[in-house]
Amino acid sequence: MAEVHVIGQIIGATGFSESSLFCKWGIHTGAAWKLLSGMREGQTQVDTPQVGDMAYWCHPIDLHFATKGLQGWPRLHLQVWSQDSFGRCQLAGYGFCHVPSSPGTHQLDCPTWRPLGSWREQLARAFVGGGPQLLQADTIYSGADRYRLHTAAGGTVRLELSLLLRHFDRYGVEC
Amino acid sequence: MTAANPSVFLLMVNGQVESAQGLEEGISQITSKSQDVRQVLVWNFPIDVTFKSTNPYGWPQIVLSVYGPDVFGNDVVRGYGAVHVPFSPGRHKRTIAMFVPESTSKLQKFTSWFMGRRPEYTDPKVVAQGEGREVTRVRSQGFVTLLFNVVTKDMRKLGYDTGPADTQDIPR
Repeated sequence: MAEVHVIGQIIGATGFSESSLFCKWGIHTGAAWKLLSGMREGQTQVDTPQVGDMAYWCHPIDLHFATKGLQGWPRLHLQVWSQDSFGRCQLAGYGFCHVPSSPGTHQLDCPTWRPLGSWREQLARAFVGGGPQLLQADTIYSGADRYRLHTAAGGTVRLELSLLLRHFDRYGVEC
Repeated sequence: MTAANPSVFLLMVNGQVESAQGLEEGISQITSKSQDVRQVLVWNFPIDVTFKSTNPYGWPQIVLSVYGPDVFGNDVVRGYGAVHVPFSPGRHKRTIAMFVPESTSKLQKFTSWFMGRRPEYTDPKVVAQGEGREVTRVRSQGFVTLLFNVVTKDMRKLGYDTGPADTQDIPR
């Protein structure tokens, strides 16, 4: 079986209108993949940047997968939330990116989007907060049933992921 | 020490360490901002560590804690940061952001500023882990630049492909 190590960190996020942000992340893989060690999902700390507008989390990711096939290559999905001084959380964006497939270190910029509601809901969100959220998180990383969604762009999440592959050349796979 | 089976030499701070040589921890000198227009803080601290392991899971991370004096002269924490050591052999530059835990209430903020006892982590190694972070609030302030020269042994022999040497230097 071939093995994949994903080692890196979620560096931070930029371009969001709110400043105290945290991120809930998870990795989704297909049926041929098995997670041998590491946490499949997590949540970063809440960061308030003092210098500039980029919130830094530096959240470490260390995963070890074993796989029998290439189908269902791991996807990293993210939900960026903002927290105000009273502790209330509001959705800032959803995003996903595939884990890179070539070994080495990669800098990734993951764009995010958030669902827009009706004009009433948008007005309420501007004054009171809240806003529509997805009921099921798998819409973030799957393409099915998206045509009904109306969304607006959020900011960008920056990640640095390093890939270490093992035994891929044994199976004739070129990465 | 000769080994009959190929082994992997890694740098580990936390994770599955079999053996370690070299200093795993260190404290630098106290530095002040330069008087010129760059306003940089330079430590130039040497790091020379060799580790051995059999599994890349738990790859080494270098954890930094920066301390400095506040207005009253107490040493308070100015930032924590962590970064994975790069695993492709070669020369790598990494610039990491530093963050500081934040007090929950304004009163506690004022009290800690006045008494000189800021919130800090009891064990700085929690910065290298992802678990348990969801309840902490931090402030990010400042960056630290590190330079790595990495040499690995027998990774290819064990079947690991590390890819090309990292050519992305962060120009800061």
